[in-house]
Amino acid sequence: MNAILFYVATVIVYGAVDSMACLALNVQFGFAGLSNFGFIIFQAGGAYVAAILSMGPWQKSNGGFQQYVLGWHLVWPLPWIGAAIFGGLLALPFVFLVGKRLRGDFAAVGLLVSAVLLNQLVNNFVPLFNGAAGISIVPAPFSGKWNPQGLGYQFAYGGVAVVLAVLVYFLLRRVTESPYGRSLRAMRDNDVVADALGKNVRVQRTSMLILGGMIAGLSGAVLVGFINLWAPGAWGYAETIVLFAAIIVGGAGNHKGAVLGALLVPLGFEEVTRFIPPLSNPALVPALEWVAIGLLIIGFLWFRPDGILPERRRILSRSATSAVPVLSSGESDSLINLGNLDQMDFRQLLRLEGDANDHGIILASDRLTRAFHGVTVVSEVSIEIQRGRITGLIGPNGAGKSTTLAMLAGTLAPTSGKVLYEGRDITSMPSNERAKAGMIRTFQLASEFKKLTVLENLVSAIPRQSGDSFPGALRGRRYWGREDVENIERASEMLEGFGLSQYADSYAGGLSGGQRRLVEIMRALLAQPTILLLDEPMAGVHPNLAHKIGDQLMRLAASGMTIVMVEHELAIMDAFCDPVIVLAEGRVLAQGTMAELRAKKEVVEAYLVG
Amino acid sequence: MSVFLSSLGFGLISAAVLAIATVGFTMQFAVTNVLNLAYGSVMINSAFVTYYLNYHAHLNAWVAMIGGVFTGAVASYLLNRFVFTPFQRRNLPPITIVIVALGVDLVGTFGLQAIIGGSYFSYKQSLGREVHFWGMYFSTLQLIIIGICIVVLGLIHWLLKYTRLGKAMRATSANATLARNSGVRTQRVISSTWLISGALCGLAGTVFAMNTGVFDATSAQLYIVLMLAAMFLGGPGSAYGAMIGAVTIGVATELSAGYFNPQYKEVIAFIVLLGMLTFRPFGLFGSEKTI
Repeated sequence: MNAILFYVATVIVYGAVDSMACLALNVQFGFAGLSNFGFIIFQAGGAYVAAILSMGPWQKSNGGFQQYVLGWHLVWPLPWIGAAIFGGLLALPFVFLVGKRLRGDFAAVGLLVSAVLLNQLVNNFVPLFNGAAGISIVPAPFSGKWNPQGLGYQFAYGGVAVVLAVLVYFLLRRVTESPYGRSLRAMRDNDVVADALGKNVRVQRTSMLILGGMIAGLSGAVLVGFINLWAPGAWGYAETIVLFAAIIVGGAGNHKGAVLGALLVPLGFEEVTRFIPPLSNPALVPALEWVAIGLLIIGFLWFRPDGILPERRRILSRSATSAVPVLSSGESDSLINLGNLDQMDFRQLLRLEGDANDHGIILASDRLTRAFHGVTVVSEVSIEIQRGRITGLIGPNGAGKSTTLAMLAGTLAPTSGKVLYEGRDITSMPSNERAKAGMIRTFQLASEFKKLTVLENLVSAIPRQSGDSFPGALRGRRYWGREDVENIERASEMLEGFGLSQYADSYAGGLSGGQRRLVEIMRALLAQPTILLLDEPMAGVHPNLAHKIGDQLMRLAASGMTIVMVEHELAIMDAFCDPVIVLAEGRVLAQGTMAELRAKKEVVEAYLVG
Repeated sequence: MSVFLSSLGFGLISAAVLAIATVGFTMQFAVTNVLNLAYGSVMINSAFVTYYLNYHAHLNAWVAMIGGVFTGAVASYLLNRFVFTPFQRRNLPPITIVIVALGVDLVGTFGLQAIIGGSYFSYKQSLGREVHFWGMYFSTLQLIIIGICIVVLGLIHWLLKYTRLGKAMRATSANATLARNSGVRTQRVISSTWLISGALCGLAGTVFAMNTGVFDATSAQLYIVLMLAAMFLGGPGSAYGAMIGAVTIGVATELSAGYFNPQYKEVIAFIVLLGMLTFRPFGLFGSEKTI
C-alpha cells in the first residue's frame, strides 16, 4: 500500500513538472509561433543551477568525488528562484536567432543544434558539470529538518509542485488573453504583417523566449529537488521533441491542451512503459516508445492538426447594438452587402485632426534603387508625396510599383538611395518603427491573421494599447479592460460601416478574397495612419464598393490623411488620385493629373506596349 | 607540421563522406524547400541494408553497397511522395514539415533499433593496405571512399550543368511556379531529385558506416548537425556550396580535433552553423536560394 502511495506522489511531481514545461513551450510555439527546438536547454540549465545552489561547497561535500561550481548551500526557495532567473538569462544568447530576418524553420534548426551540442559539451566537460556522470546527492529542500523519504514530505512536495503549475497556468493565461496575447498570435500568423502594423517582433519573441525559459528553469528545479540527481543523459535534444509531441497531441494554442498533452505524452509514456514486463531485448521497449512518439506527431499533424483540445476562437464581447448585423434590405446587389459606408464618418472614429490645407511634402524618396540577383527592379526613383492628397502609383506589370511601396514602408531595404519622412532620413528605420510613426502599408497578397477573428484582426492594429505590452498584460484586465472595450467598439463600428458585422467572430482565414481585402483596409485605417500606403487595395473588391471606399479615402485625405495607392484600375485613378506617378521599367516616367498623363505619348505607349 | 598533415588526412576522409551526404540533403531542400531532418535515419537504414547483404547474403561490401544506394533512393522517394508532398499540399508553414521530418526520423531510427537491437555492427571488409604520403595516412578503403566522392561530385556537376534534367532542377529550385508555367514538369523533376538525392543518401550512409567501422542504429542521428553546418556555410540549396561547405567543415573539425580536443571537434561546426544563421543565412556566396 505504501509503495503505491509513494508512486502516486512521484507521478504527481512528474505531472506537475511536465505540465509546467508544456505550458511554457506552448506559449512560445502555440501562441507566439516560436519553434523553440532547444527548449530542453532551459529546463536542464535551470535544474543544474538549482542543484549547485542548494549543494554545499564542492571540496568539502562528499569528499569531492564530483565537480561543480558555486555550491552556495542556499535555503529553499532561493535555488528555485535562481533556476528561474538563469532560465531567463539563457534566452539571451538565442535572441539573434529569433530576430525577424531568419526563417522560422532555420531558427528552429539553430536551436535544435544548440541543444545537441551543448549536451555534448556538458557530457565531456568535467570541471563545470562533472561530465557525463552528472551530479548526484542534490539535497532536497529542507532535508535537514524533514525526512525527504517520508510519505508526508513527498506528498507535500507534490502539492507545492502542483500549486506552482497552477500559478504558471494562470500567469500565462493572463498574458495570452490580453491585447498583448492578441499581438503574439498575430505575429504567429504573419510576422511580416504584424511588423508592418507596428508590433516589434524581435522584442515580442525575446520576451516569450525569456518567459518560457524562466518557467522551464523552474520546472527543472522542481524535478532536480525531487530526484536529487542531474545528469546530461536525461536532457537530450529528443526530450524537446517529446514536449512538442505533447503540445501537438493536446492542442497548440490552448493552455488546457498543453496540460492534457503533458499528462498523456511525457508522463503517460514514462509511466505506462514501467508496467511492461522485461523482455529479452532490453532496447525494444524504449525504441518502440520513440517510434510511437514519432508516429503520434505525424498522425496528429495529419488527422487532427489542432490537437485534442483545439485553440479556442475568441468572441470579443461588445454592446448589443453593434452586435446586431445590419442587413440592408432591398439592396440590388445581393452578393455583397455594402453596409452603410456612405453615411459613415471615419474621421471621428480615427481621431483625425490634421490640417486639411497643408499640402507640403511629407514623404520623399531620393534616388531609391533596388536590385534582386543583379537585376535592377527599381532604379533611382525620386518622388515626393504631398500631405493630404491621394497619390496614385501606376505602371505596367514589373514596373517596380510594389517594390517602391515596400521600400517606402520599410518592409524591403533599398540597395541604395534614401527615404525621407517629414525631412528626416528614415532609410534605416525598421518597418515597425515607421508604423508607429504613422506609416501603415497594406499588402498585395493575402495578409490577414488567419486564426484571429475578423474583429480581432481589426482591434490588433489599434496603436498605443495599454494592454499591448508584456508589463501591461501582467497588470491584468482591470488595467486594460475598459480601454479594450472601447477599442472593440471602434472596430465594430468600422466593421458595420463596411457591412461585415456578421463576420465579426469568424476566423479571418475563412473569408473570401474580396472580404479579406476589406479586412485589410479596415485594419490599416484603424492603425490610425498619417500616411497610408495601399498596394492594389481594390483588387477583388466589388466595383460599387470600391467606389464607396474611394469616396471615404477622399474624405480622409481632405481631413489631412496622406494616401499613396498602387492600382491597376485606371478608373479608380481617374476618380480618386491626384497626382498620379507613372513608373515603367523601374523608373519614373511621368507625373501629373490623369488628364495630363493621358495627353503624354510616352505614357500611353508604356501602358499599351509595355 | 605532422599534426597538421595527419589531421588534414582525417579531414579529407570526413569531408568526402560529408560532401556526398550534404549534396543530397541540399538538393532536397533546393527543389522542395524541405529541411529533411529524417535524412540521417534514411542513411543508417541504407547502411544496414548494405550490412545485411554483406553479412548475411555474403556479398562483397562494395557490391552490397548497391543495395544500400537503392534503398536510400527508394526510401527517400517514398518519403517525399507519401509524407512530405501530402503535407505540403495543405499549405502548412515550413516549420510543420520540419516537425514531421523529426517524427519520421524517430520512426526510422528507432524502428530500426527495435528490429536489430541496441548492439554494434561492422561490415565484413578489410581496410586494405595502409598508404602514406606527404605525412598523411590512409587505408585503401579510405582512398576508395575519397575516390567515390570525387566521381559522384563530378557526376552531379555534369547532371546540373549539362543535362536537361539538371537544368529543370535548377529552374524548379529558383522558382517552381515559373518553371511549371514554362513547361517544366516539376512533379517529375521533384521525384527524380528525390531518387537521385536519396541514392546519395544511401551511398553516404554506407560509406559513413564503412569509415566509422562500427555502428548501431543511432550512429547517424547527430550527423545531421555536420550536414546542416556544411549546407548553411555554402548556402542552403546550393549543390556546389554544399561541396565547398562539406570540405571546409570536414577538414576544420578534424584539424580542431588534432590541435585541441577530439571530444569537442563538432563544436567548430556548431559555431559555424550559428554564425552563418546569424549573419549570412543564405551562405557565404549566395544571396538567396539557388541550386
